Amino acid sequence: MLWVDKYRPKTLDHVMVHPDIAHNLKQLVTEQDCPHLLFYGPSGSGKKTLVMALLRQMFGPGAEKVKVENRTWKVDAGSRSIDIELTTLSSAIHIELSPSDAGFQDRYVVQEVIKEMAKNRPIDTKGKKGFKVLVLNDVDKLSREAQHSLRRTMEKYSSYCRLILCCNSSSRVTEAIRSRCLNVRINAPSEEQIVEVLEFIGKKEGLQLPPGFAARIAEKSNRNLRRAILSFETCRVQQYPFTNKQTIPPMDWEEYISEIAADILNEQSPKRLFQVRGKLYELLINCIPPEIILKRLLHELLRKLDAELKHEVCHWAAYYEHRMRLGQKAIFHIEAFVAKFMSIYKSFLIATFG
Amino acid sequence: MDDMDMDIPLPEELEFLESNSHFAEEQEQEEDHHYFFEELESRSPQPPPDLAVSPESESNGGHKRSRPNSPPEEEEKRAKARVAVKDNSSAADEDWLRYSPPQTEPAAEEPATLAMEKTLSRFASEIDGECMPITAPNGDRVYAKLNRFQGEERVAKLDCDGYSAELSSEPINVILERLEQEAFAKALEASSEGQSVAEVPEAQMVHERLWVDKYAPKSFTELLSDEQTNREVLLWLKQWDSIVFGSEIRSTSDDVLSSLKRHSSVVHNQKPLNSKFSRMNGGSKWSNGSRYINSRSMDEGGSSKSTQDVYNTKSRNIGPPEQKILLLCGPPGLGKTTLAHVAARHCGYHVVELNASDDRSTSTIEAKILDVVQMNSVLSDSRPKCLVVDEIDGALGDGKGAVEVLLKMISAERKPDAGKQNLGKGQTERKSTKKRSKTASLSRPVICICNDLYAPALRPLRQVAKVHIFVQPTVCRVVNRLTYICNKEGMKASAVALTALAEYTECDIRSCLNTLQFLSKKKEALNVFDIGSQVVGQKDTSKNPLDIWKEIFHKRRTKKMERKYHRCKSFEFDSLYSLVSNRGDSDLILHGIHENVLQLNYHDPVMQKTVRCFNNLGVYDLMNQYIMHTQQMTLYVYLPLVAISVHHIVSQVQKPNIEWPKSHQRYRTMMMEKMDILNNWHHKIPPLIARHLSASSFVEDLISPLLHILSPSTIRPVSLQLLSDKEKDDIAQLVSTMVSYTITYKTVKSDVLPQTLKCEVADGLALSLVPPICDFINFKDYTSNHYVLSVPMKQVLVHEVEKHKILQGSIDKTGALAYGRDGVIETKTDIPLANTNHSTAVDMKTNEDQVNVVSRQLNANPTTVSSKLNSSKSSSEADSGKLLNMGNMKKTSRSSMSFFDRFRKVNVKGLQSDDKSLREEDTLKKDRHPLLFKFNEGFTNAVKRPVRIREFLS
Repeated sequence: MLWVDKYRPKTLDHVMVHPDIAHNLKQLVTEQDCPHLLFYGPSGSGKKTLVMALLRQMFGPGAEKVKVENRTWKVDAGSRSIDIELTTLSSAIHIELSPSDAGFQDRYVVQEVIKEMAKNRPIDTKGKKGFKVLVLNDVDKLSREAQHSLRRTMEKYSSYCRLILCCNSSSRVTEAIRSRCLNVRINAPSEEQIVEVLEFIGKKEGLQLPPGFAARIAEKSNRNLRRAILSFETCRVQQYPFTNKQTIPPMDWEEYISEIAADILNEQSPKRLFQVRGKLYELLINCIPPEIILKRLLHELLRKLDAELKHEVCHWAAYYEHRMRLGQKAIFHIEAFVAKFMSIYKSFLIATFG
Repeated sequence: MDDMDMDIPLPEELEFLESNSHFAEEQEQEEDHHYFFEELESRSPQPPPDLAVSPESESNGGHKRSRPNSPPEEEEKRAKARVAVKDNSSAADEDWLRYSPPQTEPAAEEPATLAMEKTLSRFASEIDGECMPITAPNGDRVYAKLNRFQGEERVAKLDCDGYSAELSSEPINVILERLEQEAFAKALEASSEGQSVAEVPEAQMVHERLWVDKYAPKSFTELLSDEQTNREVLLWLKQWDSIVFGSEIRSTSDDVLSSLKRHSSVVHNQKPLNSKFSRMNGGSKWSNGSRYINSRSMDEGGSSKSTQDVYNTKSRNIGPPEQKILLLCGPPGLGKTTLAHVAARHCGYHVVELNASDDRSTSTIEAKILDVVQMNSVLSDSRPKCLVVDEIDGALGDGKGAVEVLLKMISAERKPDAGKQNLGKGQTERKSTKKRSKTASLSRPVICICNDLYAPALRPLRQVAKVHIFVQPTVCRVVNRLTYICNKEGMKASAVALTALAEYTECDIRSCLNTLQFLSKKKEALNVFDIGSQVVGQKDTSKNPLDIWKEIFHKRRTKKMERKYHRCKSFEFDSLYSLVSNRGDSDLILHGIHENVLQLNYHDPVMQKTVRCFNNLGVYDLMNQYIMHTQQMTLYVYLPLVAISVHHIVSQVQKPNIEWPKSHQRYRTMMMEKMDILNNWHHKIPPLIARHLSASSFVEDLISPLLHILSPSTIRPVSLQLLSDKEKDDIAQLVSTMVSYTITYKTVKSDVLPQTLKCEVADGLALSLVPPICDFINFKDYTSNHYVLSVPMKQVLVHEVEKHKILQGSIDKTGALAYGRDGVIETKTDIPLANTNHSTAVDMKTNEDQVNVVSRQLNANPTTVSSKLNSSKSSSEADSGKLLNMGNMKKTSRSSMSFFDRFRKVNVKGLQSDDKSLREEDTLKKDRHPLLFKFNEGFTNAVKRPVRIREFLS
């Protein structure tokens, strides 16, 4: 097992990164009444870990005995019936699924499947809890219709079903749903916290950490705990004992994007834009989300940019990201941003250096 | 009218035509000035007050466009030609020749020869229709054309005019003068009355036919379609002559053929000729087909044998055309049907048309085609028939019969062709009714007409037919014809307006004429704005996307356009808009723009144009998404505007190099594939781990470090036994990682056969990760610095992973089984990879080399057993290693040995003390299940003795 999985806290008591939240949750659960919960925060901050620990707190170790079920649901949608394939993780007292897997048919998942699940009372109520839990992942990827359907379900079956929603950004969860849940924001761990975790792992593994090494990893990890631990392990695998000058292997796609940024800064012309398009397509093909590409690209460009331009470039990046989210063809908008940047940068160069 | 004029174009005529075509260019400029004058003139003879008495003036009246200066030539002609009636045609013929000033010189000598050749000829075969021999006063014998259908009236005229020395009662200058006076009077009238003049023809026109019919070309020279196509069609039809009319008849002399060819290769510009060519006397019913009967009978009569022989020798070698079917295709309204009809009639066929309105089921059509193609009519009109199958691409369902029947006939033709021409036919027929056996081959020309060459129904036909694709005639030609028609109809139309009309309709003459006729009812001069606002003239045809992209990226710049800049803009907008919106597939169009726009050479110093382009594309994307989302389909009308604005930003004069957009499609499919891989992987990973991950976090955070972790550079590629404890720990850690993420190595070619597998492993061919997570960091032009494990190392890992899996599987299974029984025996065949060390062996024997007997009560016994086994095993290994000393085999065998070592060690340890180390926990887990029995096939020459399972268990 990777360290990421090996040292994942199993109970709320062992949580290192968000002890206050863990404490609150524990209190909440022990007071018997658990509202619907909405966990949101950047990836690698520990949402799922908290959710799992919470479940364990609620139901005991039984919650960890899960089985994977790949089921096809037949849903009547008006005149025709639709087959929806869903993978669910379920234990005796909870079901976990990501309804956005169904793509544009997520509405039916919410309307039929989730309702179906929520309707069924847990048979064995001799446990402490008289309800079961539905864990829904990636709620922010649900379509608006699906979210609207969800809110009725949340109210109607709230007596014996609790929903735990997980998402990255609460801004794309409708107001209605947010108001029905207890919103729990999970911040990205601070670098100090990451250092703390790394040192803990190092101690467990019996490793000698040179001073400042963990801090370097934490700094590179972009406050993503998962990434920090993974790169820590990578360093361990590549070279042990650690030295202070040891390179921390970068993410490959980030390297690639910094290459693209270098390309853009070297030359600004339609021809170059065409080459950049090819590389952008490469990234997109490898399933890297366009938002992240744009964000990273901006980051890389800003590093080498004159301070005057930063503001303007950021503005345009936001502008094109907005359009990208409204639209469908991400490549158009990323390229538009690159073109805009090239235009700004080139005219700046001409103005400064003639 | 008189098709026979141009019936068989002689070389000199063609040359003459060519010479004219040079003038045509010059005249173009002048024409605008002529129009008004011409119009007056052409109208002048229409009300026939006193001129009608004389035969000349009658003929002039008939040809609405006769010129005042024509009579002198006519007179001259008459001196030579005796039959006045015939002169109608030739006079008319000369009208157009003489019309333009530069042409007068050739016209002076030409008329004589022309007149001679057209209606009077020394060769009967040159005359289109019936003819009779006439002996001139000087002894020359010529053949004069007879008109059958004109009946007695003409004959009477022949008598009174043709043979009289005096041609007209009035001298020609008197007639000329009168005409001029009249024209002048008309002009005066027109200028004074203004509009009322226009009403006079209007009133007459109300009862007239559609202009399209009225002005349909009736002779070959009038055709507006591309000259080359016309001539090739004619040539093709001419090639049938030998079959249809028998080879005795001179079909077309070689020099004519060659000059036809030569001519058709010259880029031809006949507009002024065509437009001025009067298409008068639609009523003159010269029979052009009957000539064959006549000439054939003459042939039989043996008259003029001597002259014909010359031609016969030449024409003997001209056989039937290679392809029996002519397929004409092209957009509507360019005159395909007209061409087919005119050309066929021109060559002396009786046209039988089958079109979509007819019943075209196989049964009916077969009879019909057979009738047309093979039978001779018993009617008076016994010209051979030519079948024109119109709208053949619309043939669906039953209509496919036409194509089938034609194909069948062609194939029937082909087979006997190999042997004897006519005799073999009967045998090839399958159905062979009497009628068919005689007549099943194609012996008459068949012309098929379609709009869409690539219609599926036509696929078989396309291969056997001679295909001609119609291209649009040039705008000038169309405009000239339109001008002429407007003049004739008394409609005022400026050349600019007509040009615009022609452009709007994409030179669709039919729709031009219909539009014009419609507009003529407005009783005022036609101007550009009328046409601009008209939608009547627009065709709803969709174009190939490549053409559309070309239009978008290509800036048209012609002189006229620049002159009328304002108009040009709006026209460009309209045409582009309709172009894009008619295509409909705006997604494809936009992708094409997206992929090609950066390849253009537009001047863009600070990339502003590019930014604007991409903003437009972005707007398109937003709009499209919005439309799809809200289902407001009415907003679709705005989508093509994006293409137009891109056009305004980047269009260039030079021709763009368009490529079909592929990359977006490629991106979509490849991303889907990778997404699939990720999802499958995600589902395979045990839920304890997988639940914390999402597909995006895989690529973002996980894969790069995971690849590093999976390929540690610190582990030496040596056998496990030589490794230090720490390194073993590392490997154990690595293996557990691989197992928990369900990653393993496999040979690249996933062959099922162990033989090939073995070979590949022996050759050291690559083992790659499964699932192929390496691919996710394989960006183009990017080299990652990932360390790659050596092949033996990978093999070791594969082995370990398999073992680990087996152990886990057995744990699960025993967990599932009830503990009622003493022990459970599990037998597993090793996977081929782990097996390679043995499978090379000659001797195939079972070797129970890996038997793991663990049970809580039986802890004591198995140690001995396993150690016993182990010793035997190790000896066998040593032997095999001696026998086949191949490095990697040794390694694998060692690895399997190391398993046993570990097993023994752990077992011993398990007996002695309970360590809490990870490894021990692992084996303790193993201990929980009673028995693991591993079955290996392979070679060993060790001392073997049978061991019963019972012995293990006791």
